[in-house]
Amino acid sequence: MANPFQPLQGALGVLVSQAEVLPATGQAVVDMVTSDLDEIYDQKTGGQPDVEKVWETDVRALYRTVRPIHRTEKHGFRYFLDGSARTYFIGTVLEHNRATPVQVSQVGAAMVKREDDGRIRVAASRRAILLTLEKSQVSDTLWQALEGAIKGTKGYALCDSATNNRYADEQNLQEARPRGAHRANWYMRELELDLARSVQREDGGWLVMDGSLGNEFEDWDGAPLVGVAKTFRRDSLFKLGTGPRSKTLNLFGLLKDLQENQRTLVFSRNDEGKIVFWYVRIRPQRGLDYPLMGVVKVEMPNPGRQLLNSDMVDEISGWLVAERRVTPYGRDGRWHAHLYPIYIAERVVRSLFYSEDALKSGIRWPFKSA
Amino acid sequence: MTTKKDNHPIGRGSATDRDPNTAEKFQFWIHPDQTVNPFDIVAAEHFPAEGSNEPSRTFGLVTNIKHFTDAGSHLANLISNDFGEEVNQPPQTPRQGANVAEAAVLSNSADIYMPVRNESRIYFADEEDIHQALGIDGIPEQRRVPAGLIQMSNGAQAVAYLDRDFVLGPEAGHVNISGISGLATKTSYAMFLIQALLQKSAQDEIAVILLNVKYDDLLHIHEPRELSEEEEKVWKQLGLEPKPWPEDRVHYLLPNGKQTHTTGRPNCFADPLPQQHKVYAYALRETAPKLDLLFSDIPDPNDTLGAIIGEIMSGLSGNEPAWRAVQTWDDLLTKPPLVQQGIPQKFQNIHPSSVGRFLRLLRRVVKTRQTGIFVSQLFTRMTTIEKEIGNIKGGHTYVVDIARLAPEEQTLVFGDVLRTVYGLYSGEMLPFDDYTPPEKVIIFVDELNKYAPARGHGESSPILDQVLDIAERGRSFGMILFSAQQFLSAVHERVTGNSATKVLGRSDSAEINAGNYRFLDQDIRYHLTRLDKGELILSHPIYRQPVKIRFPRPPFRQSRAAK
Repeated sequence: MANPFQPLQGALGVLVSQAEVLPATGQAVVDMVTSDLDEIYDQKTGGQPDVEKVWETDVRALYRTVRPIHRTEKHGFRYFLDGSARTYFIGTVLEHNRATPVQVSQVGAAMVKREDDGRIRVAASRRAILLTLEKSQVSDTLWQALEGAIKGTKGYALCDSATNNRYADEQNLQEARPRGAHRANWYMRELELDLARSVQREDGGWLVMDGSLGNEFEDWDGAPLVGVAKTFRRDSLFKLGTGPRSKTLNLFGLLKDLQENQRTLVFSRNDEGKIVFWYVRIRPQRGLDYPLMGVVKVEMPNPGRQLLNSDMVDEISGWLVAERRVTPYGRDGRWHAHLYPIYIAERVVRSLFYSEDALKSGIRWPFKSA
Repeated sequence: MTTKKDNHPIGRGSATDRDPNTAEKFQFWIHPDQTVNPFDIVAAEHFPAEGSNEPSRTFGLVTNIKHFTDAGSHLANLISNDFGEEVNQPPQTPRQGANVAEAAVLSNSADIYMPVRNESRIYFADEEDIHQALGIDGIPEQRRVPAGLIQMSNGAQAVAYLDRDFVLGPEAGHVNISGISGLATKTSYAMFLIQALLQKSAQDEIAVILLNVKYDDLLHIHEPRELSEEEEKVWKQLGLEPKPWPEDRVHYLLPNGKQTHTTGRPNCFADPLPQQHKVYAYALRETAPKLDLLFSDIPDPNDTLGAIIGEIMSGLSGNEPAWRAVQTWDDLLTKPPLVQQGIPQKFQNIHPSSVGRFLRLLRRVVKTRQTGIFVSQLFTRMTTIEKEIGNIKGGHTYVVDIARLAPEEQTLVFGDVLRTVYGLYSGEMLPFDDYTPPEKVIIFVDELNKYAPARGHGESSPILDQVLDIAERGRSFGMILFSAQQFLSAVHERVTGNSATKVLGRSDSAEINAGNYRFLDQDIRYHLTRLDKGELILSHPIYRQPVKIRFPRPPFRQSRAAK
C-alpha cells in the first residue's frame, strides 16, 4: 500500500532544503482546538447577550409543548451534516529569526441522507489534507516554493494560519499552534458550508447541521436548514415583555422549567431576525446531572426577517424531539443532546481519515542522512 | 469465475485491529439486503496468481455470523428507546449495525494462502466454485458418488460428491451416521447413499447387507413409492434414478418366531410379508461356532464363562465323543457333560457353580426370553444366516430382519453376519466350490452403540471384537461398514475413528460437547442442534471442511414408523 501522505513529501522537502527544520519530538503530535469551540463561537458571533425580541406569531406562553413527530408520520429532517478536523504538529521551521509551526490536518465533512425506511446513506462528503504554516513567518520565496509543491495535488491544500481563521480571530488567539488547529476547523466549517450549499436535496428535505450557524448564514438562500447546537453560550439574558408582568431570565432560569417535549419561544439574534433561535428539551431532566443537559439550541436562517409561524416551529421541534432515538449513549459525553444521524455523519467523516499510526508513519521529514 | 455477470458481490472482507483475518479464517461484512447463512460457501477476491491479471479466489465456508452495532452496551440500547419506555415504534434512525460473517478458509484457486484482505469483494460461490472449494474437482469423474445437495442462501445448488475410493476403499472406508431419532434421517440417508453407490458402480460389484432393526423400515425396499415432482427433480439433479431396489435382487431374511411353525408367519413387523423372503433360525449345532456372541453383554472378568463357552464350541464343532449326545439346546441344558440328574457338573477344571451360572444364563437366552429363533432342529424351509450370507452375490441386497428379536438374539445375528462376511473375505472360510464373493460388501446397521459401545480401554466382548475387526481391517478386504446411532459419543471411538466419512444429523446440545465432535469447528457444532429434517452435516476426507447437505427421500415404500 502506497504512503497516503506521499504528496506532502515534496512540500516537506522544500522546507528541509530551504529552511531549518526542528522536527517534533516523537513524530506528529496532536494539536487541539479550544474544547468548547461551539459555545465560544456562538458567543462571539451571536451578538449581544441581551435577547429582547420574540420572533414568532404566537407569543402567549414562554414554553410550548410539542408532540414528537416520527419520520413515519412526516419525514422532515432527511439530511444531516457534520465535519471533523484533526491537526498534528510535525515541527518548526526557522528562517533567520522567524519561526512558524508546521502542522498537518485531516479535515472532512459529510452529509448523510436518511431514507424513508430509516436507513442512512452518505449523500456527499469532502476531505482535505492541509499543510499549515504562518505565512508571515516565512519568506515569500519559501512560501511560493511550498505552493508550487502542493499546487495541483488533489485533496491537499496549503494554509496560512494567520488568515481566514475566524474561530481563532473571534477568540483573539495569538499562539501560532492553536491558531493552526483553529484554521483547520475553520476549513472544516467551509467544507460544511460548501456541502450545505451544493448538495441537491429532495423537495422538502430539511438539513440539520451540527452546531451553531454563525453569521455566515444570515443571508442564506439555499434549501431549508437548521443548526442544532449541543453546547451554546450561557451568558444570554432574556428580557421578556414590558410593564409589570415583564421578567428577565438568564439562560438557566429560562431552561430550568423547560420540560421534556417542550420548546421555548423563538428569539432573534441581534434583534435583526436574520438568524432566529429557540431551545428544545429532547430529554427529561431526571437522570441528567445538570439543567442544561438534554436541551439543544436550534438556530434557523431567516433572511426575510418575518415572524416565524408558531405551528411550523412546533413541527420542527417535534421532528427534533423524535430524533432522541437512537442515542449514542456511552460513546460521547454529550449523548443527551446528540442527534444520532449527526453522530453517524461524524463517523463517516472520521472513517475518511487515515489513522494516527498511518499519519505518524507516513509523514517523515526528508532529511538527508549525513 | 467470481466476476460472472450474474454474480454480484455480497460484501467485503473485514479485518480489524482486534479481529484480523488469518490464513485459516476470514471475515466479511454482508450487504444489508443480503441473506447469508452458516454453511454457505463464499469466494473472496484475492491476489492474482503469478503471471496472471485475474484475481485468484479464496473460498470459505461460513461458520458463524455476528451482528455488530455501535451501541457501547445494552444499556445504550435501552436508553435509546426512551429509557426502555418505547417498545413498539421503530427507531427514528435505526442504529448502525453490520452483519459480519466468519468463514473458514477452504482453498484458494491459485494456492495463495495469504489472509483475505480488508475490502476484498466477496461473492456467493457457484457450483463450479463449490467443487473447487471442497476439492471435488480433483475427484476423477468415475469415482464421484453423489452424496446430497449443497444448497446456498442465494438459491445456488451444487452436488456434493464423495470419492468412492474413500468410501469403499482402498484409500479409506466406512460411513458413520449420527443424529437423534425421530427425524427419519439416518436410515434414509444410509439407504440413499447405498443406492447412489450401487447406481454408480458396476452391476455386480457390490453386495449389500442391511440389518432391519426397527419396525418394517427396510422390509419394503423393492416396493416403489410415489414421488412428488420436486423429489423426482432432486434425484435427477443428483444424477440418480429414483427407483426402488429391483425385486429380483433383494432377499429378505426374517427370523423364525414361536408361532411360525403353526402360522407360517415369521417373527417380523412386515404385513404383508415380502414375497422373496426366507426364515432363519438357530439350532444348537449350527450355532456352536458363534455361541460366544450370545454372552457379549455378560461381564466375565475371570473368563470363566469364556472358558466354558470355548470348551463347548470346540466340543460341538469337533463332534468330540463327550458331546455327541448333545444335539439340541435342551440337550445342552439338561444332559451330560454339563448336567447330570439336573445338577451342574464340574467340567474340565471349571467349578460346578460356574457351570451352573452358564446354564442359567443360557437358559434365559435360548428358552425363557427367546423369541423363537432358537429351535431344536432346522426344518427344511428354514435357513441360517451363515448359509445365506456365505453365498452373497454382487449386485444383490440382503435384508436381515432383527427388529423383533431380544437384545441377545440381535447381537447373535449381527455377530453372525459380521463373522460370516469376515470369514468369507479374510479367507478364513474356504468355499468348497468356485464361489467368489463380490468385490465389495456393504453392511448397514443402525444402533451400533448396542454392539460397539463406548467403553474404557481394555474392555472387550466377542461382538465388539467382531465390529472392530471389520472397522479396522475390513476395508482392505472389501468389507465396508455403514453404521448409525443416535449419539456418536456412545460408540466405540475405534469404530467411529475408522469411519472416514461421518454424517451428522440433528443432535442435542449435551451431546455436541462430547470430545467425539472435536473435529468440527465449535460454531458448526452448535449448528447441529438446529438442523432440519433432511439436513445433514457431511464430513469426508476430501472435503476441507464439513458441509451441510440435503438429500431426497427414498424412492421405496417406507415403514409404518416413517409414516
